[in-house]
Amino acid sequence: MAATLYTAWAVGGLTGVCRVNGHQQGPLHCHLKVLVAGLQTYEIPPDYSDVVLPAKPKLKFVNKVPNLKKPKREPKKLRDIQGPTRGADSFTQGQYGIVALGGGYLHWGHIEMMRLTINRKMDARTMFARWCISGPYKPITRKGLGQRMGGGKGAIDHYVTPVRYGRLIVEVGGKVELEEVKHILTEVAKKLPFPAQVVSRESLAALKKKHADMEQNNQNPWTFKQIVQGNMLGIRRVVSPFDVHHCGRFSGKFHFPGRV
Amino acid sequence: MFVLSPLDFLHKLRVQLCRPAAAEAGWLPVTQSVRHGSKAVTRHRKPIHILKQKLLAVTKYVPPTPVVPKGAYPSERQEVKEESGFVLLLKRELKKLFQDYKMVAVAQNCNSNAEDMRILKHRLHRHGIAVKFFPNQVMCSFLSDSVYSNMAPLFIGPTVLFVSKEPKVKEMLTSLRSSPQMTLLGACIDNTLLSAQGVVSYSKLPSVSVVQGELVSGLAMMTAHTASMLQRHPAHLSALLQQYVKQQSSEEAPKAEEAT
Repeated sequence: MAATLYTAWAVGGLTGVCRVNGHQQGPLHCHLKVLVAGLQTYEIPPDYSDVVLPAKPKLKFVNKVPNLKKPKREPKKLRDIQGPTRGADSFTQGQYGIVALGGGYLHWGHIEMMRLTINRKMDARTMFARWCISGPYKPITRKGLGQRMGGGKGAIDHYVTPVRYGRLIVEVGGKVELEEVKHILTEVAKKLPFPAQVVSRESLAALKKKHADMEQNNQNPWTFKQIVQGNMLGIRRVVSPFDVHHCGRFSGKFHFPGRV
Repeated sequence: MFVLSPLDFLHKLRVQLCRPAAAEAGWLPVTQSVRHGSKAVTRHRKPIHILKQKLLAVTKYVPPTPVVPKGAYPSERQEVKEESGFVLLLKRELKKLFQDYKMVAVAQNCNSNAEDMRILKHRLHRHGIAVKFFPNQVMCSFLSDSVYSNMAPLFIGPTVLFVSKEPKVKEMLTSLRSSPQMTLLGACIDNTLLSAQGVVSYSKLPSVSVVQGELVSGLAMMTAHTASMLQRHPAHLSALLQQYVKQQSSEEAPKAEEAT
C-alpha cells in the first residue's frame, strides 16, 4: 500500500507540474514516463492461534552433579558416543531445535552456556525452550597432577552427558518462525563440542528423507552391506562388527554423511 | 623363579608368564607381549586399514546422472502465478480499451525524452489520438486469452499504444514521422490486424464517402448509359438495333453449323 501511495503522489506531483490540456488524468496515466511500479502484495502471516506456551518458557537450571548418595566410579564405556542415537531424535513439543551431527560429551559448562545464551536472547512472551538431554550423570575421573601410572582409578572429577549422532539437544517452539530463532540456535550450536545443526521439523524430516533417497537411487552396483555380509575377499578381517551393523557410516564418534 | 611383576606392568604390557611343566617340554619365551592399538572411539580420525579404504572407495555413493542436464530444457510444469490486483486492473483497462477504441496502434519508442513525448502527445491529442502505456507481460497474457492473440508478437521491447476512437491513420503517421524515435510496428483497426506497410496502404486508401460515391456511380453506370442513349436521335437508335440483330444472326449461324 505504501508503494501505491508513493506512486500516486509521484504521479500527482508530476502531473501537477506538466498540465496537458484535455488529457485523461488519473493514477494509471502518467504524462512523462511509463509507470513501472506495481501493487505491493503481502504474504499472509502464519496463524499461531493453536500454539500453547508453557507456564515456564525458559530453559531450566541443570545440576552440575546428580543427586546421588554414593557416587560410584564407572568405566569409560566410550561406546555411549559411538554410532547413532537409540531415541530422542524427533521433535515432541517445539518446532525448531539443534541436532547433533556427531558424538561427544556435554559437560555442565556447555549446558550453562546454552541455558544462559538461549534464556537471554529468547523472547519469553512468544517462544519457549525445552531441554532434550538430561543433566550430566556419567562420572569422569581424573588423577591428580603429576601422578605416575598406577595406584588405582582416580577420583570423580566431573559429570558429563553422552550425546550420539542424530540426538536433539534443545527444542524451541512458540509463535515464531525459523528466521527469528535461527540466529540464537546457530550461536549455541557453534560452541558445542560436536558438529551440530539447527533444524526445524520439516528440515529434519528432509535430512532423513535425503538419506533414504540416497540409498534408493544409488547407482553403484556394489554396496558395503552386500560385500561385508557375504564376507567377500575375507574383508571381515579388517571390518569390525560395529561397521558391519552400521555399513561404514560411523567411525568412532564421527559420522560420514556421504556414505550410504 | 620369576618374580611377579608389579600391577602397573601387568596393566600396560599384559605380560604372560609361562613356565614349562618339566625341563624336557621345550623352550618358550619368558615374556609374550600383546600389542593393542588405540580404542575404537578416538578424538582423532583413526587411520583406516588399506583394505577397508579400498572397500570404502569401491562402495562409494554414485548419484544418478540425469539424461538431460539441468537447465537444458524449460520445466514441463508451468507455474501458475496468481495475478495481483494491479494486473487485474490493467487487464480490465485493456478490455475496455479494445472495446471503445477502433484504432489500436503499437509502436516502439527508443530513447524518447519527456519533452519529445509531451510534444508528440500534444500533436496526437489534437487529432483525438491518446497515448497509452501497458507492461508487456500483462499485454501478452491479456492478448493470449482474447481474440487478438496474433498481436502478441508485436509486444517486445519498450512499446507504446496509440489509441483513437476514429481511425485517423494519416494524421498519426504524419505525427510519427516527425518523431524519429517512434517506429510503428502494427495496428488493429476495426478488428483487423495490419502490419506497418498495411497501415501505410490503409492511410493511402480514399475516404469512405469517396468509395461510396465510386460504388454508386459504378452501379448506376449502366442505367445512365441507357438513359443517355435513349436521349439521342431515334435513327441512331434504330441503326444500333439493326446492327445488334445482324450480330445475333451471325452468331446463331455458326452455332447451328457447330451443332450439325
